[in-house]
Amino acid sequence: MPDAPEKDPVVSRSLAGYFVVAALFLVITLGWSLYDEFYGLRPWKAYERRFASLYTSLLKKKIPEQQKAEKAIEDSAEYKALQKEFKDEQEAVAPKLKQIHEQTAAIDAKIEAVLGTLTNERARVGSMIYVAEHTAEGPGRKSLEHNLDEYKKGPFVLAGPPYNGKSFTFEEMESEFSNLQTTKGELQQQEGDLLKPQGDASKKLQAYLHDHLTGLTSDQLQGLLNKAETMSIEIQQINIPDAGIVDRCESCHVGIREPVLLTRNDMGGVRDHMSAAFTSHPDMELLQIHDPEKFGCTPCHNGNGMQVDSVEMGHGEYEHWLWPLYHKANLQSGCQQCHASDMVVDHAPELTNGKQLFQWRGCVGCHRFSGYDSEPEDLVANQNQIMQLTAQHDDDLRNAQRDIDSGDHAADNESARKFYTDADALKVSASQISIQLDQLETKAKYLMMGRKKVGPDLKEARVKIRPEWIPVWLKNPHAFRPTTKMPRFRLDDEDIQDISAYLWQTALNTSLTHQAPGDPVKGKESFETRGCMGCHSVGEGSNQVGGWFAANLTRVGEKDNYDFLVRWIHNPRERTRPYCPFEKRDITDEDYNKHGLPPYTFDLNHTKCPNDGHEMVVEQMTVMPNLRLSWDEARDIASYLETLKRPGATYAAAPFMNDSKLKEVGRKKIQFYGCAGCHEIEGMEDEGRIGTELTAEGSKPLEQIDFALFVGEAKKEDWYSHKGFFERKLAKPEMFDQGMIKTEAEELRMPDFFEPAGSKTTEGMADVAPEAKQQISQLATFLMGSVTSEIPPRFWYLPADQRRDAQEGWWLVKKYNCEGCHQFKVGQNSVLMDIPRYQTPEWKDQLPPKLLTEGARVNPEWLLKFLSNPAMSETDTDRDGVRPYLKTRMPTFYFSPIELRKLVRFFQALSQQPMPYVPPRLDPLAPKELDMARALFNSRAAPCLKCHATGDATHDKFATAPNFLLAHDRLKPDWTKHWILDPAMISPGTAMPSGLFKKAGDGHNIFAGPTPPIFEGYTGDQADLLVRYMFEITPDEQRRLTGLSAASMKKTSNEAGAKPKTQSILIGMLVKAH
Amino acid sequence: MNKRILVWLPILCATILVFGCSSEKAPETTEQPTATATAPAGTPVDQATVGTITGKITFTGAKPKLATIKMDQDPVCVGKHSSPVHVEDGDVSANGTLPNVFVYIKEGADKYAWPTPSDAVTLDQDGCMYKPHVLGVQVDQTLHIVSSDATTHNIHPQPKDNREWNESQAPGAAALDKKFARAEVMIPVKCNQHPWMKAYVGVVKNPLFAVTGADGTFTIKGVPPGDYTIEAWTATGGAQGQTQEQKVTVGAKEAKTVDFGFKG
Repeated sequence: MPDAPEKDPVVSRSLAGYFVVAALFLVITLGWSLYDEFYGLRPWKAYERRFASLYTSLLKKKIPEQQKAEKAIEDSAEYKALQKEFKDEQEAVAPKLKQIHEQTAAIDAKIEAVLGTLTNERARVGSMIYVAEHTAEGPGRKSLEHNLDEYKKGPFVLAGPPYNGKSFTFEEMESEFSNLQTTKGELQQQEGDLLKPQGDASKKLQAYLHDHLTGLTSDQLQGLLNKAETMSIEIQQINIPDAGIVDRCESCHVGIREPVLLTRNDMGGVRDHMSAAFTSHPDMELLQIHDPEKFGCTPCHNGNGMQVDSVEMGHGEYEHWLWPLYHKANLQSGCQQCHASDMVVDHAPELTNGKQLFQWRGCVGCHRFSGYDSEPEDLVANQNQIMQLTAQHDDDLRNAQRDIDSGDHAADNESARKFYTDADALKVSASQISIQLDQLETKAKYLMMGRKKVGPDLKEARVKIRPEWIPVWLKNPHAFRPTTKMPRFRLDDEDIQDISAYLWQTALNTSLTHQAPGDPVKGKESFETRGCMGCHSVGEGSNQVGGWFAANLTRVGEKDNYDFLVRWIHNPRERTRPYCPFEKRDITDEDYNKHGLPPYTFDLNHTKCPNDGHEMVVEQMTVMPNLRLSWDEARDIASYLETLKRPGATYAAAPFMNDSKLKEVGRKKIQFYGCAGCHEIEGMEDEGRIGTELTAEGSKPLEQIDFALFVGEAKKEDWYSHKGFFERKLAKPEMFDQGMIKTEAEELRMPDFFEPAGSKTTEGMADVAPEAKQQISQLATFLMGSVTSEIPPRFWYLPADQRRDAQEGWWLVKKYNCEGCHQFKVGQNSVLMDIPRYQTPEWKDQLPPKLLTEGARVNPEWLLKFLSNPAMSETDTDRDGVRPYLKTRMPTFYFSPIELRKLVRFFQALSQQPMPYVPPRLDPLAPKELDMARALFNSRAAPCLKCHATGDATHDKFATAPNFLLAHDRLKPDWTKHWILDPAMISPGTAMPSGLFKKAGDGHNIFAGPTPPIFEGYTGDQADLLVRYMFEITPDEQRRLTGLSAASMKKTSNEAGAKPKTQSILIGMLVKAH
Repeated sequence: MNKRILVWLPILCATILVFGCSSEKAPETTEQPTATATAPAGTPVDQATVGTITGKITFTGAKPKLATIKMDQDPVCVGKHSSPVHVEDGDVSANGTLPNVFVYIKEGADKYAWPTPSDAVTLDQDGCMYKPHVLGVQVDQTLHIVSSDATTHNIHPQPKDNREWNESQAPGAAALDKKFARAEVMIPVKCNQHPWMKAYVGVVKNPLFAVTGADGTFTIKGVPPGDYTIEAWTATGGAQGQTQEQKVTVGAKEAKTVDFGFKG
């Protein structure tokens, strides 16, 4: 067989198929890349298109609705009347207006005619003057001046109507022009006057529409529609170069700032995945405070603002972005990085609660957090400053002496004087430093006053608590008192015995004054009405009544010693023995004996150590204030509290408490667990915090966070995040010990703040009660936001003005729980306001005052005095200085002067009052005015003294308002006037009636009721009159008034057939009758 | 390891700083020379050749009218005087001479050594008046200030070239010993509690000064031979007082007369 020629593949085989496939493949790839370029990698384009179409149709739907609404308003009689008013005004002035316009036109023509010549001639004359001025004195200049005068004589002929060739000199022309200008000005003034009523009517018309229409007008909507229809599809971006912010979030969240409220339903409904992106920002007010053009989006929300490739990437929810969008539950974390200096953040209640919980739960006992519990650190800083300044002071004096010596030996007087001057300057500087040093020494004392511990002083454990109770409590505080802030430390029986033994054996072993029993029934009433419940509660679960801030006392009778309790209620700051931080020990009676001094008695004014003069701790470091109750009342309340116990509760004897062998082990364990972070414990007064600092815990990289053996699980279950860690650690810290090979000493020390509701865990999270879950979430919100901020400090909220005073004050308000009794903002109810007892009208009058406008109300100097001593008396302290009629009592907090200053400034700042306050000078009352004011005060229609206290015990029993004698020092006149005009505006729900005054025709306030005859012909403001009188009232005047009042009422009562015995009883009865 | 360094580094720095600072400052405290004991530079005066200058200060023109001092504000002051007290500045003696004129060698004596006298000059406060009214001290000579009054005074010199001070002296309090370090003619001295009290202290570098008495004469002893400028100062005539100077040559053991005449 002849070899068949080899088949030439070029001829015999076609590669067309491959090429077709390849070409097709390339085309598809090209198509794909084009698609990706325009759509795939630009998902936001779809968002914008969809938004534009949804928004357009929404607006199209809204416009007719709004037009209908506008039509309805326009058809209303009121609107028509306003419209008619407008038209009438328009028509009324039309002829006159026309005339003015005609006159103006004529004047304009004349001006034009004059100016046509005048402008040129002015230039000519100007140039002639210039030449003459620049010619030297002499005949040449004389002739130039002559020429000028001649030229000015003209004649200048004005062509055209209305002058038609009339001739003028230059001066005549100038004056003609100026007259024309004046006339034109007058005409314009007339026109303005004519148009004013019309303009006013038009404003009224618009205001009426605005007030009655909800939302934007149809015209405004039309504007939005036009914009939406022509919206171009492009990246929407906020760029703030100096902060490194490039936020493109609005490329998808297109409608976030639109002035029309957009809900998900409006924008496609819940089934459309895009609709969630199209809603309005839920808090527009917040956006007004933080304009996105200045703040961007990511500083508050986190996420990757620059990314627009996908939702996940934009939200930063991928491995390579460290700061994913804050979870919905922890949204307010975003506020913290700029608002770290605030204790209270408006619009962020979750964060605010988290911040307060951090303090209240005692986290600060173990973890430093900048801003919290700052007194000990401030004390150290203060001490350093004292040392530094002392050295500087000594230096200055040394140098001054050297300068004097140099001066004495200087070669000439000139340099001697300079040396002496330098010496004087140095001496002055040294004296200034001395004064500063005094201030710092005092500040140290004040800082010590402000230093508080989260838990009670355990040095007093032995006089306070029954020994058998201690081990039970340590085992599980939540079992005894579910709401306590004391956490469970996962102690075994041995730990408990060791710790109890140390505490018991090192505690003060002394006995307190023995107290006679009190009346528990009276005690209960006192407990419930004196204000104790602003902080304390009684009853468990749904029966719990009272505040959350301090201990729930349902079982207090099982643990506390009666004698201690009485002393504590009488004054919780009383301490058995003072502690000297310098000697690091308690100072005993012997120390005082040694120096021939009487033994220590609790006294806040004697704080110096008898041995070395150092400042001592003489107070209990508790925030609980002194209610200034009598010993009898304290005994009654203590007796009542002793009855609060579970029936039949028994405690096993605890003989180990006195076992001295356990003490040393116990000491180590107490140090190990850091108990001294929250409690005063003998021998551990200077123990440091045992936990890590948390100031910037939220920006700690995840790899550095100890997920222990849970990293894999956490990633799988999607809780490998700060949120996931914080929440689990708070819910059940010991979970991170699970599976680890550790000795006991290596195990996590963080205690359990919450008790698991069951053994179940969900994604590693222990099952806790809903309230616990909420607190955990709030704490996590706070911690997640606590970051090392990467945005420039100008964004941080560190105001330098009065707002800083407000900022600092809130820390104190929270520290001392002022909100337990007082309302600071509308909507923030005090604890007492919500207690069942205070729901009746009678008891509502017994609520402590609202502090809504306190800064505007009171003179800051007075406030300072009141806050430092609310009894307003050094001797008579079992009373309230302002409102003796209240059963609740403003307690004495023993604020340090540092705190007092902050609080006074705080109130002034909240009401935007300038500091220092300069009281205005009020015109003294003329004799006639005095008689009028007296008459008004006693007028039947304004029985001021019916409610306001007068200092007469019988009368004051029924008083519900402060004594007028306080007004002069306490109140600000401006506020007082606002108050008497409309108290309900200032303090909704106040007992003080509104409507005492009405406006007279001339704008003055006049008394609304029938006025005494003496008022006839008085043209002044009667509210002013009353205020001026209030600020003038003296004790004598008040006696005179009450006399008058009694007399005027006597008449009434005689008519009613009463037989008065004495004036004061009479007043009392009458007040009661009213 | 790193952490440990972080702890130690600041401590180390602080230690260096502390020692660094203290070693720098150490000498400052020691260099406080006391100049009083050192022997003055210059030619010693040969007491065998010294002469004297005497003279008289006359006054021509209208005699100023002297105001009466009202001491009502302090009864102690009033009680010490039985007759009205007049202001001393501007007083002219009956014979037309000026008392209380401070005469001193202004120039020419600096080449000699003038040791600081060890005896003090006394300034008394008696009847709420400074006594004497005009006095001279040598630089660094002790001015011994005493009070004979049962009331509190304060001595308040108001110098231009020296250091100003103002110290209180209670009745029966210890005397105050003060020095002026720099030559200055004249330093007015007042008492803020008794504003009429006035004294003038002339501080000069040598003992060649004198104050005229009621007869208007003065004598300056111990003048070494040489050419001098001599100046007379009187409080009469204006708030600052007035001065006159003259040239004078004193030979060995010579007694010279230099008279001055002030006008009203």
